[in-house]
Amino acid sequence: MWFAVDPHSSLPIYSQIKEKIKALILSGKLKTGDSLPSIRTLAKDLGINVNTVARAYRELELEGVIRAERGERYAVVGLEDHLHVKIKQTILKELQNVVYRCKELAIDISTVLNVVDNIYNQSSLQNEVGEDDGK
Amino acid sequence: MMGNEYGLVLSVKGLMRYYGNIRAVDGISFDVFKGEIFALLGPNGAGKTTTIKCVLNLRKKDAGDIFLNGSVSFVPDGKELYGSYTVEKMVRIAKELTDKFDEKKCFEYIERFQIPFDERVSNLSSGQTTQLYLSIAFSQDAELYIFDEPTWGLDPIVRNQVLEMIRELIVDGRSVLYTSHILSEVEKVSDKVAIMSKGKILEQGYLDDIKEKYCAVIVPKNSKVDGYKYKSTETEDVYITKREYAISSNLEYSDVSFEVIFEALVMGSNNSLTA
Repeated sequence: MWFAVDPHSSLPIYSQIKEKIKALILSGKLKTGDSLPSIRTLAKDLGINVNTVARAYRELELEGVIRAERGERYAVVGLEDHLHVKIKQTILKELQNVVYRCKELAIDISTVLNVVDNIYNQSSLQNEVGEDDGK
Repeated sequence: MMGNEYGLVLSVKGLMRYYGNIRAVDGISFDVFKGEIFALLGPNGAGKTTTIKCVLNLRKKDAGDIFLNGSVSFVPDGKELYGSYTVEKMVRIAKELTDKFDEKKCFEYIERFQIPFDERVSNLSSGQTTQLYLSIAFSQDAELYIFDEPTWGLDPIVRNQVLEMIRELIVDGRSVLYTSHILSEVEKVSDKVAIMSKGKILEQGYLDDIKEKYCAVIVPKNSKVDGYKYKSTETEDVYITKREYAISSNLEYSDVSFEVIFEALVMGSNNSLTA
């Protein structure tokens, strides 16, 4: 397994690993029951400190996303409902930030609500999303 | 004074070392545990090399306690070897002088670094000399490896090889203490970091925790902020503060890189702001 990690990011490497693994599960590239590389192997493949990988795996295990198996192996358990809730919370926070920006730019509340309305109430009118960008 | 706390390989408490009026090491404490990479990071002149020399008893300390629990393999910043010997002879000598020296491993490292075995040590470039010194040190079986600026003078590819070798050391439970002034390397390799400047440790802990602990806040000029002033623009000041403080003071904050945290802490100590 390999993916890029950025040691110079303000996001610690162990967090980056956790997010990448969760993203792989979300996208279906990793399924329940699939094996993950051992801590040593992943550390070697990614070119990072074993303790960093160990911390990522430890936390993923505590969160119930992976579980330890015999012989240093780990298996994917999956993303539980409560993790889906966490992901939803993150998106909602993003929405909040966007709405704050709209407010800062003095965009009318009715314009904002129209956007929400159009998206949510589209029943079979899929392609009729208004082209106004909240102007 | 600690007993045999499990996994403690080195403990430094209140270490002080003066040169006349200059406090090269001014009361520092840190611990290195089994299986971890600990970096002493700081600008030149911070007191890192003096600290290492005190730990190894190459310099007498003026105060403090040092508890070393295990054998040590050491690579000093001046990598001196016996110039008239060939590379191969150097290895054979190391084998005779050191217990638990793996000759075969050493020759493998030397091959990996592409250093000719029959070359005289004095004809090697400074980079190659470093590589040879490191090969010898890595082939010694010790509990604690101490490196003083191990990648100095090495080109980027070789630097990465050395960093990989450092990472491999801890896989089997050995520990590494090394000094560096190169942040980008420390970020690639260390578990724990102590930021040192002017003889003092300004901050220490897991590198990841330090990244999460601090953030940047932007405030109107001349605001009173509990933090380290990082920059001043025409209208604003940028401070590096603890995230908890930013949240509890209702300040808007953003993530920052470790480099920025480091700069702010060191500049702060240079300006002697109140802690």
